[in-house]
Amino acid sequence: MKRRLISAIGVAGMMISLAACGGDNGDGDGKAGADGYAGQTLTVWVMDGSSPDQWQKDVAAAFEKKTKAKVKFQIQQWNGIQQKLTTALSEENPPDVFEIGNTQTPAYAKTGGLADLADLKSEIGGEWTASLNESSIFEGKQYAAPWYFANRVVLYNKKVWADAGIKDTPKTRDEFYADLKQIGEKTDAEPIYLPGQNWYHFVGLTIGEGVQLVKEQDGKYVSNLADPKVAAAMETYKKFQALSKAPKDKDEATPQQGEVFGKGNVGAFIGMGWEAGIAIKANPKIEKEIGYFTIPGATADKPEGVFLGGSNLAVAAGSKKQELAKEFLKIALSDTYEGELAKLNGVIPNKEALQSNLKGNEVAEAAAPAAAGGGTTPLIPEWAAVENAPNPVKTYMTAVLNGKSPAAAAKQVEDEFNKRLAQQQ
Amino acid sequence: MTVQTERPPSGPVDVAKTTPGRSGGGRPATGKRPGALVPYLLLLPACAATVLLLGWPLLKDVLLSFQNLNMAQLIQHVTEWNGVENYRQVLTGEDFWRVTLRSILFTAVNVVLIMVAGTLIGLLLARLGKRMRITLMMGLVLAWAMPVVAASTVYQWLFAQRFGVVNWVLDKLGWHSMADYSWTSSQMSTFFVVTLLIVWMSIPFVAINLYAATTTIPSELYEAASLDGAGVWKSFTTVTMPFLRPFLYATTFLEVIWVFKAFVQVFTINGGGPDRLTEILPVYAYIEGVGNQHYGMGAAIAVLTILILLGLTAYYLRIVLKQEEDEL
Amino acid sequence: MKRSLFGRLWPNVTAVILFVGFVFPVYWMFATALKPTGDIISEDPVWFPTDITFEHFQRATGVDHFWTYVSNSLIVTVCAVAFALVIALAGAFALARMRFKGRRGFVIGFMLAQMAPWEVMIIAMYMIVRDASMLNSLLPLTVFYMMMILPFTILTLRGFVAAVPRELEEAAMVDGCTRSQAFLKVILPLLAPGLMSTSLFGFITAWNEFPLVLVLNKEAESQTLPLWLSSFQTAFGNDWGATMAASSLFAVPILILFVFLQRRAVSGLTAGAVKG
Repeated sequence: MKRRLISAIGVAGMMISLAACGGDNGDGDGKAGADGYAGQTLTVWVMDGSSPDQWQKDVAAAFEKKTKAKVKFQIQQWNGIQQKLTTALSEENPPDVFEIGNTQTPAYAKTGGLADLADLKSEIGGEWTASLNESSIFEGKQYAAPWYFANRVVLYNKKVWADAGIKDTPKTRDEFYADLKQIGEKTDAEPIYLPGQNWYHFVGLTIGEGVQLVKEQDGKYVSNLADPKVAAAMETYKKFQALSKAPKDKDEATPQQGEVFGKGNVGAFIGMGWEAGIAIKANPKIEKEIGYFTIPGATADKPEGVFLGGSNLAVAAGSKKQELAKEFLKIALSDTYEGELAKLNGVIPNKEALQSNLKGNEVAEAAAPAAAGGGTTPLIPEWAAVENAPNPVKTYMTAVLNGKSPAAAAKQVEDEFNKRLAQQQ
Repeated sequence: MTVQTERPPSGPVDVAKTTPGRSGGGRPATGKRPGALVPYLLLLPACAATVLLLGWPLLKDVLLSFQNLNMAQLIQHVTEWNGVENYRQVLTGEDFWRVTLRSILFTAVNVVLIMVAGTLIGLLLARLGKRMRITLMMGLVLAWAMPVVAASTVYQWLFAQRFGVVNWVLDKLGWHSMADYSWTSSQMSTFFVVTLLIVWMSIPFVAINLYAATTTIPSELYEAASLDGAGVWKSFTTVTMPFLRPFLYATTFLEVIWVFKAFVQVFTINGGGPDRLTEILPVYAYIEGVGNQHYGMGAAIAVLTILILLGLTAYYLRIVLKQEEDEL
Repeated sequence: MKRSLFGRLWPNVTAVILFVGFVFPVYWMFATALKPTGDIISEDPVWFPTDITFEHFQRATGVDHFWTYVSNSLIVTVCAVAFALVIALAGAFALARMRFKGRRGFVIGFMLAQMAPWEVMIIAMYMIVRDASMLNSLLPLTVFYMMMILPFTILTLRGFVAAVPRELEEAAMVDGCTRSQAFLKVILPLLAPGLMSTSLFGFITAWNEFPLVLVLNKEAESQTLPLWLSSFQTAFGNDWGATMAASSLFAVPILILFVFLQRRAVSGLTAGAVKG
């Protein structure tokens, strides 16, 4: 009944219902009693592979020590996460804190499902790197906290490269290609494992070409896949993909490319530094063979463009433990643990000052040169719908790899792409 | 109902023969005053469950189909009516009609394959010796019993691009271009795998039941036919087929429903891909609604899907309606 | 009627080919699950596993919450089937044995209910359960699964009830039984095979269901085996050994049930299944 009334009042009603939600939170069990928050449990969703067990354990211990409450980490898969998150946020007991991809953050900020973190920002966010915080801000409000950032590197199997007689890591795209060719000729290994739909790498290539996947037209966002520069990026992708036996219609997570690499018969793959962990888990013997280098660009002085992936931590607006959730964020994002995460995973932390943690870290050193030229997909709320399966960008890639011309493939997926960008919200 | 002509071989057949459901004409036990309410009371739990557990979601779905319901509205529990906008968008778009046509063709091809192959195998069972029959029956039962989630996983493995046994066999048979073939790469090859899976799982139901039905055909009928000088084909068309017809109708009806709703098979094999070319209606509704978080739109497609399924089965429902009428 | 050698041979040859065709996927599932990884990803398939290993099974069952999934699946499936049988039996008896106004309407109604495409109504069901605060519970799953199999169960049982000779019931009533006593003492025992064969369909449906549990139950504690199985594709990558081991474990209960109840199911289904 109440809901029907709200719908009748329309937008004004929406504000009221939001305010009502806010009111509920105050008198919930989220307040600290005499004994801190003892007896409460905070649910935190983190994505598979993004935070090491060690980090979770340390943060949980520190959190329990300070608040007397427990924290329960729940590992989520990227596959289907938006569907799961949307329904979860509508529920009575949503995850209190959750990791959310930077490209998806604006859409969720717009839904009203994320709590406003203005006070947290003023308390601990003074030094957050502005460019990394960009995706968390929607219409001037802080809806999430930047957590970590990373860009892809080449992970390679030193033994395979040595077997092929290659001494140095490549500095240009052509050298990289020549090396891979040589591996194909001189060893039985697969030179590179590059599935047809590693679209984050493709986005990186388009950034390298200096072009975005969407453009603004008459105040609306539309597909820009037909741009010749996008086609050029796709041609580069195709050239390297031809060296791989990986399926053209699968992405890097099905199967996990780290696992394939872990079998030891693959020369290289393009991935996040922490994907080495997946390979090592699959085959511990591979650990000493793994090396990293920056994805080489067209010329030696400028590395390849990369997608600057990142994750933010957000608090559900419907969480009844707002205060406790913020306590958690204060600990997780504190210099100690933000630094630990950077060190363990080789990811870029949310503050410049913490970058010292990356010193001597192979992954970070390979990633750093490219980061400056990195970029993201447009940080607009319309974008999230594009990433829903079947992602038209992936469809485009597979079509080109299967022999379509980039222009024809762009035309093929354009309708779907535009439909999603224009999807009513 | 005509299908009641079949009787279980386990039951006392000769007794059953004399009781085709309507013998006890004016017996006092049925439908007399004190017991007039009994049938309704007996049906009450089933009806209550249906109304509550099916009717309510159905009603809710219809209501949702008239709403603009996306991420924001779902998360904030806001109801935004938008009239027939969802229907307008679905019905004026090309996609829906393409998917509908595809669904109908897909259902038709599968059901025809299942019914023809199932009937032939059923008749074959009747011709086999006992040992061979039990062997084949065991094989059919194993395929029948495979849970669909497990079965589609197994088919993905059989048809895997690398190390899949199907590609290996085709390569060895001299078809070398199939050595590293990706079955999920094109519309037709994906449909081939899905169809094979569905036909494989569905044939046993038809074949075994058809065989069981043939065992209930009274042998006197064949004797009479052969006395009339009927050959094998003639007695098949004059005795076997008429006897099996109601059974075949009923089974076809079930298969149409099951194939039309084959969500799990299509979704697990290739998620409706490549390029959304193998989406059938339930998958389309799921991808547009849940997948694309356009829930109101998904609900509208769901309602249309139900209407189309009703249309497809209307013919059979009419037959049943008539028969039930005759019986009363 | 004498048959030529060819006439006797071809049915058997066809039967053998068909047998292989139907059994091979099932065989390959078990064979892959039992083979060491090296034999699974070999350029030439290893047709018969020689060195049998259980490592894949260990990996598949070593997943967190595995036994919770097993017990949840069992509880939900068994309860859904049991409720459906009880409710359906009452309804089926009325439809098969009694005459009353609106009988035809009920039959058509259940046939329509049987056609419900559940997968497309998931969001509606989700919102109902969510607004009733019953997420992450086995109860909504059980009742919805019960409903998914109820129409088929009623229509099938109706056939079985109709096939029980009325004379037996009448004879019992002449001997002084009431109608319900006659039902319990005479009809029910005769219906046993029918109940078993009908329950098979219910078991398969409820055991398999995953789109609904995927959206209703996000907590591992209330999830079921199909989710565990479908998560293998991503969690284990292309580890076909573990995936096939999981599939085998998932299929075994149903396979056993079928082989065990097969004879009765087949004899019963003639009377029953086609009533749909």
